Amino acid sequence: MSNYTCCDGVTRRDFIRIGAITGFGLGFSLQNYLAHASTEGLTTTGKAKAAIFVRLGGGPSHMDTFDLKPDAPDTHRGEFKPISTNVNGVQFCEHLPKLAKCADKFAILRGVSHTLAAHELGTLYMGTGNRPLPSLAFPSLGSVVAKELGAIPELPAFVAVPTQGNNPTGYLGVEYGPFDTGAAPAAGKPMEIRGLALRGVTLDEVDRRQNLVKRYDTAFGDFGKEDKILSGMDEFGQKAYTMMRSTKAREAFDLSKETTSMSALFGTDQFSQSCLLATRLIENGVKFITLNIGGWDTHNDNFNTLKNKNLPSLDAGLSGLFEALAAKGLLDSTVVYVTGEFGRTPKVNPRAGRDHYPRAMFSLLAGGGIRGGQVIGESDAKGEGPKDKPITPDDIAATFYSALGINPRKEYKTPSGRPVMIVRYGTPIEQLIG
Amino acid sequence: MSNFLPSIFPGMKTPLALILALFPIAALANALKAPAPEPDKILQTAAARWGNVTKAEAPSFRRHVVPLMSRLGCSGRECHGAFSGQGGFQLSLFGYDFEKDHRAITADKEHEIRVELQDPRSSLILAKPALDGEKHKGKKVIEKGSWEYNLMLKWIQEGAKSDVVETGEFARLELFPKELVFKKAGEAIQLKVLAHWKDGTIEDVTQLTRFRTNDESVALVNNSGLVTSKEKGDTHIVAFYDNGVEPVPVMLPVSTGKFPVVKTRTKVDELVLEKLRKVGIVPSDVATDAEFLRRASLDVTGTLPAPAEIEAFLADKTPSKRAQKIDELLARPAYAAWWTTKLCDFTGNSARMINNNLNGIGNLRSKMSRQWYDWIYKRVAENQPYDQLAAGIILATSRTSLDQTYKDYAEEMGTYFRKDHPADFTERANMPYFWQRTNVQKPEEKSLAFAHSFLGVRIECAQCHKHPFDQWTKTDFEQFQAFFTSLTQGNKAVPKAEVQPDEVSFNSLTKELKEKVAAELAGKVLDTKKNNEQQAIQREIGRRLDAGELVPWPELYARTGAPVKAGPKNQAQGGSRVITPKILGGEEVMLQQYNDPREPLMAWLRDKDNPYFAKAFVNRLWASYFSRGIVEPADDLNLANAPVNAPLLDYLASGFIAHSYDVKWLHREILNSDTYQRSWKTNATNKLDEKNFSHAVIRRLPAEVAFDAITMATTSSERVATFATDIADRAIGPIGNGADRAGGGGGKNADGYALGIFGKPTRETNCDCERTTDPTLLQTIYTRNDPTFLARIDTANRNAWIDEIRKSIERPSAKSADSLRQNIERATQKMAALPTPEKPSAEDGEAMEAYQRKVKQQEDTAGEIKTRLEQMKKELAEMEKPRPPFDPGAALRQVFLRTVSRLPTDAELAQAQADLAAARSPIEGIRDLLWAMLNTREFMVNH
Repeated sequence: MSNYTCCDGVTRRDFIRIGAITGFGLGFSLQNYLAHASTEGLTTTGKAKAAIFVRLGGGPSHMDTFDLKPDAPDTHRGEFKPISTNVNGVQFCEHLPKLAKCADKFAILRGVSHTLAAHELGTLYMGTGNRPLPSLAFPSLGSVVAKELGAIPELPAFVAVPTQGNNPTGYLGVEYGPFDTGAAPAAGKPMEIRGLALRGVTLDEVDRRQNLVKRYDTAFGDFGKEDKILSGMDEFGQKAYTMMRSTKAREAFDLSKETTSMSALFGTDQFSQSCLLATRLIENGVKFITLNIGGWDTHNDNFNTLKNKNLPSLDAGLSGLFEALAAKGLLDSTVVYVTGEFGRTPKVNPRAGRDHYPRAMFSLLAGGGIRGGQVIGESDAKGEGPKDKPITPDDIAATFYSALGINPRKEYKTPSGRPVMIVRYGTPIEQLIG
Repeated sequence: MSNFLPSIFPGMKTPLALILALFPIAALANALKAPAPEPDKILQTAAARWGNVTKAEAPSFRRHVVPLMSRLGCSGRECHGAFSGQGGFQLSLFGYDFEKDHRAITADKEHEIRVELQDPRSSLILAKPALDGEKHKGKKVIEKGSWEYNLMLKWIQEGAKSDVVETGEFARLELFPKELVFKKAGEAIQLKVLAHWKDGTIEDVTQLTRFRTNDESVALVNNSGLVTSKEKGDTHIVAFYDNGVEPVPVMLPVSTGKFPVVKTRTKVDELVLEKLRKVGIVPSDVATDAEFLRRASLDVTGTLPAPAEIEAFLADKTPSKRAQKIDELLARPAYAAWWTTKLCDFTGNSARMINNNLNGIGNLRSKMSRQWYDWIYKRVAENQPYDQLAAGIILATSRTSLDQTYKDYAEEMGTYFRKDHPADFTERANMPYFWQRTNVQKPEEKSLAFAHSFLGVRIECAQCHKHPFDQWTKTDFEQFQAFFTSLTQGNKAVPKAEVQPDEVSFNSLTKELKEKVAAELAGKVLDTKKNNEQQAIQREIGRRLDAGELVPWPELYARTGAPVKAGPKNQAQGGSRVITPKILGGEEVMLQQYNDPREPLMAWLRDKDNPYFAKAFVNRLWASYFSRGIVEPADDLNLANAPVNAPLLDYLASGFIAHSYDVKWLHREILNSDTYQRSWKTNATNKLDEKNFSHAVIRRLPAEVAFDAITMATTSSERVATFATDIADRAIGPIGNGADRAGGGGGKNADGYALGIFGKPTRETNCDCERTTDPTLLQTIYTRNDPTFLARIDTANRNAWIDEIRKSIERPSAKSADSLRQNIERATQKMAALPTPEKPSAEDGEAMEAYQRKVKQQEDTAGEIKTRLEQMKKELAEMEKPRPPFDPGAALRQVFLRTVSRLPTDAELAQAQADLAAARSPIEGIRDLLWAMLNTREFMVNH
């Protein structure tokens, strides 16, 4: 899951560009980048407290997953048949049987549309809710959530499994970056997290070293409390110590602590286990988690790839995620947003593949007060574009933030003082949260 | 006035007039020294002129109506200046698009008639702002019958005309008093603003001006220009009128008693002290020798001082030892490496962004990014004058001379990328990659990148609207952008008539390449994944590059001829018009006279009165040393963002130019000042000072410097000695540059993860703020518990200093030396006993082959044994070396020298000895202390 290459030659594994854990030391603001400004004209009532963002890297075919066109011509239709779900009138791909049994838990967005057909640009657009600009890097959904919701003492606010990728914090700065796990979890095992795992070091040793630092870090005397940089570093020293000592932090990453009945909701592959880990992390106080399931860049051999590999994995992991969140009582307070960077060409190419196609795609939204069991938006008869008004990535991001009680029109200031709204153009979709 | 311009550009028509016009800022400075105009020649305030509507004159749209709407906030971002307007009424943001605003106010649309010439009082534009609540969302902003109301009314009564042409050009703003020095908090002083127009008119526009304070904690200013003092300190109040932006210094001195005598050693000290005296801030003392050495080494060379160097420096009694050390530091390779990295920041060297257009061959980009670094490195090491270095980037074209053919160019490129003995890219006269980035393609992107890198100016605001803090208008931006329109990357088309039939061109190479690949693939079954045509082309290009053969390189060149047309956006508004390039704040330029439109730009940069070029570099350099520019942010020179010490910036910039852009002169001028060498320890008056350079500011080490400092503190003594001279694996140098990964720096020996979390910039946007030195939690976790960090203080690490300590503590046993000797003996015997295979007769082909195989095998075995033997002999020699006994005191001192670059105090040494005695073993004790010192703030900051 963590290692796949897209057709443009970009390996999306370990885009190691890491920021820091967020939300700590709120009283400590080195550079007060951000200011409240006009939030006129929008009120948010969302009460969700955490979010999971599932990235379908490579861009999944909408026509073969959640937006089937059984009546389209042979050139377009594809090989898969629709099946009914537990929601009346809602049908999707036959290779997603488990999701069909919990279709009431999520909403399907069809006719989602934009114009950026390159992987990186599409990923940036979907992952920030703002069309990329050359002059300004926008923060990812996770960085904004980390900034707005803050972190608990023992755990980071924003975790990415295994990595978040390129420039996750944009103009917000490293402070709001993700904590990358670096790897996907394995079934029934604790995860060793870089910097948190105590390899061959006992807690006694951690304590002893902490005392040593205290003894020798005295050069600045009282000035160390007055200076912003020094006092900030001191505070981070304390937090790091707390995290390293924390049983809670370690156990949050330990899948062996899950009950058998909970584990049974999932498959055993990396994506399923990542989903299970996400439920555990949310349970323990993490605010935003990025999960990755790649391999959707099916220029060749689309149908076999989907049928044999991608769809079964997605089906097991996502259905497990929805069911487990519900079973843990977390679904109502956790927004789940599932999306690729674009859809794929409605017309099947000569290599039985489909190519990049941002004009029509799908996304899923669930939990956190989002009304599930419905289809929003529609693509045209051949899946070539939105039938009526398109749903934009901006709209989805605005909906997502609203569900979390974050006003998407809230204004931040970039380091150069330019005022920018969290989502510049989107409007929350009323049928989902209204 | 310099007269080199005409000699370089003989075609330029009126260089003197042009240059004079280019530098309004200099003119303005002179004007400020002029006496105030006589009172009876000044047109009175707006309140006086429109207080009584019956006697009032007709106001001017440009001079009065638009400024009034701007001051009332109508054209602000939250009101009608918003991009979508407000309530269906849209004004240009910050009000400078007179034509558009006039249309928005007067053009009659259904339901949107804002001006009633028949019944002026019922005009929406007048009635609305006088309403409150539901009827005007922006609340009531004017009172009926007030002078503001009367002004608008009178304008409508007189026909609501625009008079932009008639008013002529605005010249400058003048503020009184010229400087506001308060005596106590709460005191208030009224500002007066005069507008000077080029037609000679002078008006009191105090009531038509917008005001802003640059620091609300120091002084507040209200709508009418009344300034109120708040807390002690200094800042600027800025006045905005038309496109005039004028700051005035304001301060409440921190202390008022007798200012102590402070010796000033250099001109820099004098200028800094002059300002400090004014604001009553007493500077700190000069730092200790150890602090100076650590600070200067980190700042100049991005490298900690080596332990032996520290001890020698502390023992040195020469009075001029600091100046000598500065010269020494500036001569080290690490100086060139670190400052090249900085120049790569300023110029945006990002492997991810370099666009080679060669079918997306990815690793080429890393190589090109590295070439970018190397090219600058060579020039920094040689101390090439900054203007020449900049010209090599700014004026770059792919072909290195005018008569170079495409084939020659492609061959030249090939030499840089061939696998065996690649040619030295740094010998190239220019470095074109600055213009060959994915994010620097469109003319507007080029102008933004150029302005940021070489002018320290952010003009992106003016792309869409009048710059809120500077004089730039949208038109200025469009005209500036016109310089870059003809700069292109790709296939330089040659007129058909000039094409020779056999000539090698981009097209011919592309065609030949495609045909070759197609021929190779013909008949093969394309199993899509592997034999995909694209991939086959990539493979072929890769092969040719390795072999140094020709590939179709795209080229960077300036199109000549075609005048610059307005973009479609402008065509929609004003029809197709030709945009004449205009230098920022200067005059229009006739490009036909130049081979390349960048030539007049470069000439402008090199003029000694250029307001930006030298200042931008001086300011960035200063900011690197003081963690804050004289203008801050350092890459944001704008009129409203006044320098905290203008004479200081002027002195350094003019000195830099006078010394022919000698970068090391600039370094020395700063480094040798007491101002740079002051302690971080503050006194009662400068405790809160963050911007007047009265004491050293504590800052976290930059990413690459921190990474290298950790390496140096933990690595072998042998490596420590060469750390500042052998820079091949340094993060501050080549390893931190040229990685094809954002935030990475990856490379073979550096850790992209660590560099990322410590804030290494991706260099993808036009902002120096990409490099951050904010501390974060993840950084702390890294130095406490990251596996790669811990490995550095693990005895299993052969290159670690801690392993040296282990060896000095653990004496090798006689037994292990004996067994090693036996092994050597055995291996030597085995080597001698290797049989010689019998050579068969030449006719027997099969036997001959078998024989050759055997010989090969034999040789391999012999090689292996030989290597092992050498290794064992080395180990034995190491064991037999006489060793000094382990000296705990010396080891503890080393830990302090390696990390905090000073000797421990007596108390610290006693404590360390006690901790060492309590440790489970001496090695663990030393390692724990090393770990602890690496985790002190004293290690992680420059102080």
